Amino acid sequence: MFVLPSDLRFYGIDSVMDFLIFLVAILITYQSYNIYNLLKEKNYKFFSWAFLSISIAFLFKIITNFTFFHQINLLQTYFINHALLERIKLLDWINFFSVILYRIFLLVGFLILFLIFNKTERKEKVILFVYLSIITVLFSIYFSFVFHLTLFLLISFLTIYFYRNHKRIKSKNSLIVFYSFLALLTAVFIGFFSSLHPFFYLTYEVILLIGFFILLLNHINLKDVKRQ
Amino acid sequence: MVKKRTKLEVIKDILIVLRSEHKVKITHLIYKSNLSSGSIKSYINNLIKNGLMDEVNNSGKKYYQITQKGNKFLEDFNKIMVFSESYGLE
Repeated sequence: MFVLPSDLRFYGIDSVMDFLIFLVAILITYQSYNIYNLLKEKNYKFFSWAFLSISIAFLFKIITNFTFFHQINLLQTYFINHALLERIKLLDWINFFSVILYRIFLLVGFLILFLIFNKTERKEKVILFVYLSIITVLFSIYFSFVFHLTLFLLISFLTIYFYRNHKRIKSKNSLIVFYSFLALLTAVFIGFFSSLHPFFYLTYEVILLIGFFILLLNHINLKDVKRQ
Repeated sequence: MVKKRTKLEVIKDILIVLRSEHKVKITHLIYKSNLSSGSIKSYINNLIKNGLMDEVNNSGKKYYQITQKGNKFLEDFNKIMVFSESYGLE
């Protein structure tokens, strides 16, 4: 499974990392929505939606971690009675739905980014792409490999796009964005092996956080930009 | 070869003209912003729609002026430009 249940050995550290990722994604949402409010350019609106979707995904990831953590704690209780079993069952359902919602929101977020940067004006292409995306997202719910592969492909295309953008712009900030997506791509690649050993899961989480922190650097740099 | 201005840069140029001169006629705006009359009209319509500039009627003549939101855009222009360029959003 891609979203590996938070291993007990991490004691919720991964949830803290996910929360930090959530904060970075929310900040980017806020900044791009502010620009949209000034310009009313739909690209900025979709960009903010994409990061909002990613931030919501990480909220569900935190819920997944906590429910799993709590479930394991309950299972370690010496006396298991009916009420306890019911609680475990309820946590199981919450865990199941939060995993699904995490996958949906994360894929939708990166799909929106992909659509923004692959400017397709033709309606039939957009309709076909949206249709195929829905099918992929639905498959991703039950087949974690499909989810993982889709995410890997989407981030690969985005990384290539940001590399080309940096070649064109040649600025410090465009390089930062490229590096951050390269880190995200590396994280997702490591995530493929997360079910094999908790070490891969932790490495995946750490590199993912590094990726988002590099992205945060770009937005911190904006503060130093001189006003007109 | 002169680099083609991005949409954001054109908007900035129009707003700078409006900021430096209180009320501006369209002919003056065309001259100062270095745009054709066709393309400036679509920019003006968009900027008015987005609240970055206003159209004022004075003795039957149309004038344009910058709004508070337009001034805010100019203040934040460099940040917006860096943000847009870093993601290739422009």
